[in-house]
Amino acid sequence: MTTSNVIFAIGTLLSWVAWAAGARAVWVLLHMALNAVGYDTRRGMTSLLSAGVTSGACFAITALIPMHAQTKAAPGFRAPLVWFVMPYTAWLGTACFVMALYRIIQGLLAITSEERIGKLKTSGSWVLALLAFVALYKGDSGSKIEIITGGIWLTAPICAAILFFAMAGMAAMVIAGRASTTRGYAKTIITQAALLAGSIVFGLPFAFLVITSFKEDRDMSSPNGIVWIPKVQDTVPYFDKKHPIYEANFQGQTVNGTIILTNPDGTVKIDVTKPLAIRGSTFNAQKSALKEIPKEVPIVSGKTDGVAFEGKIVEEMGDGHRRVAFTKPESLVGKEQIFAPAEVEPVRHVGLKWSNYSEALSFLPPETKSGLVYLKNTLILVVMSVIGTIFSSSIVAYAFSRMRFPGRDPLFAVLLSTMMLPGAVTLLPQFLIFRQLNWIDSLYPLWVPAFFASAFNVFLLRQFFKGIPMELEDAAKIDGCSYLKTFWSVMLPQIKPALAVIAVWTFMGAWNNFMGPLIYVNSPENMPLSYALQLFQGDRGGEPGLLMAFATMCMIPVLAVFFFAQRYFIEGVTLSGLGGR
Amino acid sequence: MKSPRFALALACALSALAVIAPAQQNKRDLVVWGISFGPDTKGSEAVVREFSRRHPDVNVRVLSMGAGNMNPQKLMTSIVGNVAPDVINQDRFSISDWASRGAFMPLDDLIAKDQAKDPLCPRQDQYYKAVWTEASWKNHVYGIPTGADNRILYYNKKIFRENADALRAAGLDPDRPPRTWSELLKYGKILTPPLENGQFTRVGFMPNFGNVWLYMYAFQNNASFMSPDGRNCTMDTPEAEQALEFIVKGYDQIGGYEKAKQFESGFLSKENDSFILGKVAMKIDGDWILNDLSRYGPSLEIGVGPAPVPDDRYYHRGKFANEPEQFITWVGGYCYSIPKGARNVQDAWEYIKFATSTEGRMIENTAQKEWEQLRGRSFIPRQQGSMEANEALFKAFKPADPKFAAALRQHIDLMPFGRIRPVTFVGQTLWSNHVKAMETACYHKASPKEALIAAQLVVQRDLDAFFDREQHPIINLAIPLWAGIGTAIVALLVCAVLFLRKKMGRLERSEAWWAYVFISPWTLGFLILTLGPMLASLFFSFTQYDVLNEARWVGFKNFQDLFGADKINVTKSLGNAVYLAGLTVPLTLAVGLAIALLLNQATRGMRFYRTFFYMPAIVPGVASAVLWLWVLTADPNKGLINAGWQQTITNWLGLSPPGWVNSADWSKSALVVMSMWGAGSGMILWLAGLKGISSTLYEAASIDGANPRQTFWSITFPQLSPIIFFNAVMGFIGAMQEFDRVYIMKPSGDGPVGPDDSMLTSNFLLFNNGFQFFKMGYASAIAWLIFGIILVLTFTQFKLAPRWVHYETDK
Repeated sequence: MTTSNVIFAIGTLLSWVAWAAGARAVWVLLHMALNAVGYDTRRGMTSLLSAGVTSGACFAITALIPMHAQTKAAPGFRAPLVWFVMPYTAWLGTACFVMALYRIIQGLLAITSEERIGKLKTSGSWVLALLAFVALYKGDSGSKIEIITGGIWLTAPICAAILFFAMAGMAAMVIAGRASTTRGYAKTIITQAALLAGSIVFGLPFAFLVITSFKEDRDMSSPNGIVWIPKVQDTVPYFDKKHPIYEANFQGQTVNGTIILTNPDGTVKIDVTKPLAIRGSTFNAQKSALKEIPKEVPIVSGKTDGVAFEGKIVEEMGDGHRRVAFTKPESLVGKEQIFAPAEVEPVRHVGLKWSNYSEALSFLPPETKSGLVYLKNTLILVVMSVIGTIFSSSIVAYAFSRMRFPGRDPLFAVLLSTMMLPGAVTLLPQFLIFRQLNWIDSLYPLWVPAFFASAFNVFLLRQFFKGIPMELEDAAKIDGCSYLKTFWSVMLPQIKPALAVIAVWTFMGAWNNFMGPLIYVNSPENMPLSYALQLFQGDRGGEPGLLMAFATMCMIPVLAVFFFAQRYFIEGVTLSGLGGR
Repeated sequence: MKSPRFALALACALSALAVIAPAQQNKRDLVVWGISFGPDTKGSEAVVREFSRRHPDVNVRVLSMGAGNMNPQKLMTSIVGNVAPDVINQDRFSISDWASRGAFMPLDDLIAKDQAKDPLCPRQDQYYKAVWTEASWKNHVYGIPTGADNRILYYNKKIFRENADALRAAGLDPDRPPRTWSELLKYGKILTPPLENGQFTRVGFMPNFGNVWLYMYAFQNNASFMSPDGRNCTMDTPEAEQALEFIVKGYDQIGGYEKAKQFESGFLSKENDSFILGKVAMKIDGDWILNDLSRYGPSLEIGVGPAPVPDDRYYHRGKFANEPEQFITWVGGYCYSIPKGARNVQDAWEYIKFATSTEGRMIENTAQKEWEQLRGRSFIPRQQGSMEANEALFKAFKPADPKFAAALRQHIDLMPFGRIRPVTFVGQTLWSNHVKAMETACYHKASPKEALIAAQLVVQRDLDAFFDREQHPIINLAIPLWAGIGTAIVALLVCAVLFLRKKMGRLERSEAWWAYVFISPWTLGFLILTLGPMLASLFFSFTQYDVLNEARWVGFKNFQDLFGADKINVTKSLGNAVYLAGLTVPLTLAVGLAIALLLNQATRGMRFYRTFFYMPAIVPGVASAVLWLWVLTADPNKGLINAGWQQTITNWLGLSPPGWVNSADWSKSALVVMSMWGAGSGMILWLAGLKGISSTLYEAASIDGANPRQTFWSITFPQLSPIIFFNAVMGFIGAMQEFDRVYIMKPSGDGPVGPDDSMLTSNFLLFNNGFQFFKMGYASAIAWLIFGIILVLTFTQFKLAPRWVHYETDK
């Protein structure tokens, strides 16, 4: 037991040393590549060599040490990795311990007594923090430390991936440390690698969103990781003898349905299957008014008596079995056979399941007209908010920046202080006000406040008005312009870029507003997209294809606006003066 | 702004709006909430359709708020906001809660009016007594019951047969189910084989598996939970204690509650249900499992019996000597109600009459059966609160398989012996605290008695608050309102007079007049939407006010509650906010800065990369929350992150993927990870700051021979510190008010916010109190607490700023 513990301890230490030395080697390598000028190449080579050799040796030893590892036979060389699973109190405590030790050593090595006392004082506060974390750790009965021995099997793709991300990360660090403009081929490559790695990480959720919205349900879950290439089921049209589908006219629209009953008077009762919004309605129709249409049935493949076949499913039996009519090979055509679900494989080709989008829309309540009403509400909200914000904020800002009146500065101070006020404080009484106006379940509470100028926008526009030369205004006044006219025709055109920035931000705010609709809107015909999406998630949360399709549709308009007005989004920050200067 | 392109876009948008404007209808709208409408709810659809056919001038609009779950916050908001739905399908046990707040309409008059002439009108004698009582409050009827569900014992005959010898050896009869608690325990013990590798291969009986809870056992033992007058909570009684002891014993004899829970979580529903798989020998459950049993376990040899009762009750001994009832079960279910302020009461009543009538129930079940048969599935009707409907349904839809028919019959036969949860307005609190008491006792964190006392205290506090209300003086809200408006008018007049008397030139005066007109949007908005509400909220924080009833002045009680009665929630929400802010703010800052430093390089494709990194920041919040809910799905076969985790960290370190939003330890980390994705918005700020740093500084540094690290810490960082400061302040304020993402990402249900309230933020606490219960007073106190904390934090940050923030003007 003791021996194995000792071996384990040595292994742990060595594995950490190996990883640390490996990281050091990459770091030195990057430095050498990037610092073409003024870097001591010989010293660099020495440290690269020593780090590389140490790392390699430690890996080699640890790989040979028999530790009770998570041994799963995998090809390649196992780079051992030992890890501790600890509660955050233990991690922070360890960090405090290391820091305290570091400061104490620094203090002991210090030259002046002043410095020594300073270092020791800091170490004292680290010790105090350490004690606090130890107390927290002891206080929680659930705390325990677990040691996990694992390892990375260094196959070629994993090595490549690790190297790629290590380089990207290191590059980010090196560049962060340099921030100067050294040119160099190596640097460009490494920066591009870092940027590409970042883009991949940031883009993956987007890719997941879009691809999921095109996937079939069966691809949503896979034990081999995420399915990235959507496939769709091959189908063929088929006239079902047993359960024929008919096209009929019902309430002025063409519907598909099945016959569920033949009435005594010869008419038949039709159960609507499409469109989905009225699915389940039944109505009586003359048989002559019906037109039989083919079903799209899935194609499957499998083996029967050792012969590979393809066929179409002509009946889904109640117990899960399928009746398959063979289509290939020739010898079997015309025959049918019943198979258990596991005996046949669906035939699928790479493709996009566009029907997720139409299906998502058809599941929306009929009074929302396939979601158009949501879009309409959001557009009303956005347009009214933008108009309101721009006009009210600019005119207020104009008065505060260019006009003199008693009480201007105290009022402006009040305006600035409202920026700090959390919305929570005014939320409830505002609800009561809008209730008194009978505005609950309408869009008014969501956009009317925009007409009362927001502090932040006023502040921003005021900065801009201040930058416009006085001469312009004076000239207008001499020409006999009224204040309103001066504001409208002379001053407003001068701050168009700032207005565009505000318009873009207000657009975003109104489009994304969620808590407002959640509190104020109940009926589907008054709901904006953001809230509709949340309800959709509640209703169809288990069907990611539909959900992602709907989410994509909610996103597209914003992304479109972003691409066209990118300048105002990104440069708006600089314009606003928030960039620090 | 006014470019032709913009005008064109606007014109297009407006014309599109005109096209899709809703058409006028001459029908009367009847808004029904809470019926689930989905792919498999053919029955409810049929009822609505048939009603519409009989009432052609009524347009029934069914709104299911998320998978048919009624959202109590939406309902309350709509009732308070005078836009209530006309009919609401509501869980019966919560009726008294709503009725006590005056949120529902009593139906007595409507019933009395139609009793004689309308055959569809519900009659009290048609209904089981307990079921009818549950939908009443203070002798008024507030709901007409629909479905009713009680619990019986299901057992697996095959397992009984296979273990017949062992059972007989213990003096038990393998051919019949247990009837008393002590028999139940004995059967359960014998039918649980010893563990294999520390795992159960089968479990005989788990007291709370299925749908039982402490309530049922306590009812069987005549526990009452509430004093007859409804004034006091009597959870800590010997009866309830014995029932809880029985539950604890039941778990202890098979190896403990935690072990049993683990076993349960290893199974799913439908064909992977543990009872259907034969992994559980006995369970007590409701009639809703019958359909799944008949579909996924048609060959399972099930037997049924009444839920076993205390031995004394079965043998009519001791305190039960004079009680005729041998078996007792627990019954629950739904009912239709009309909220206060419904606009179409007459049609609502017509709808309720039709939907709850035997005819309506028959239509629903017939349609549902047709639908199931069409899909090749069996159908077993659900139980009803009306005896007549129950019998009619049993006759019409009796399952062909005798064992399922027997089960349904057993359910129906026990209906008269069903007891209900106490009719009290604290029903919800009582429910959640009785669950908490049960779990605490089962985990042996407290003895049953201690657990019950603790739960009783919490419930009693709510009761006291309600009954003590009477002590607090009523205040007329019009007085402070008009006082406020009056003060505002007087103040404005004084300002006007001061202005008029001020000596000014003509031009000067006219400029000032115009300026006042120009700033009037803000002045008005400030007075009406900011200052007024602020003062109002301050005033409310000293009152108890729920909008529907008169306000009462309670002094500092709300603030005392913040740090007293409701301390757990308040500290938890603040702790969560601090946790979120503490992780999110520095991490987003760091990630944003790292990207900005990379993007500040002079290489190709910067515009492309900049767009790419910024894009997540502009994705609508709801859409990104919905997306991340899937990205963070715990199942590594589905979730993007856990799929990656499984292939790397699990492979390398043996750490299994975390549960993210489904685990109390990880749910906040999930939000943090999601925030990282949006770090692009901070990145833009950084970029702007970096571009603003003068290159002469770097040149000077390189001449002085500074190494990269020194350059960063001595030049870049101080120059950027104002941005860091701005971001830190705003990030903190934002994290305190986190709401949208939590609302969307928390596992559904209106219980805790996230597992063990781990995602409860201050704003969420305010929203729950304010818009779910309309505790205006208490919610306002929370709002002022948030305000105070934000003020203190911001103030501290400003005070600390000079120590590290560098402003160019300092020099």
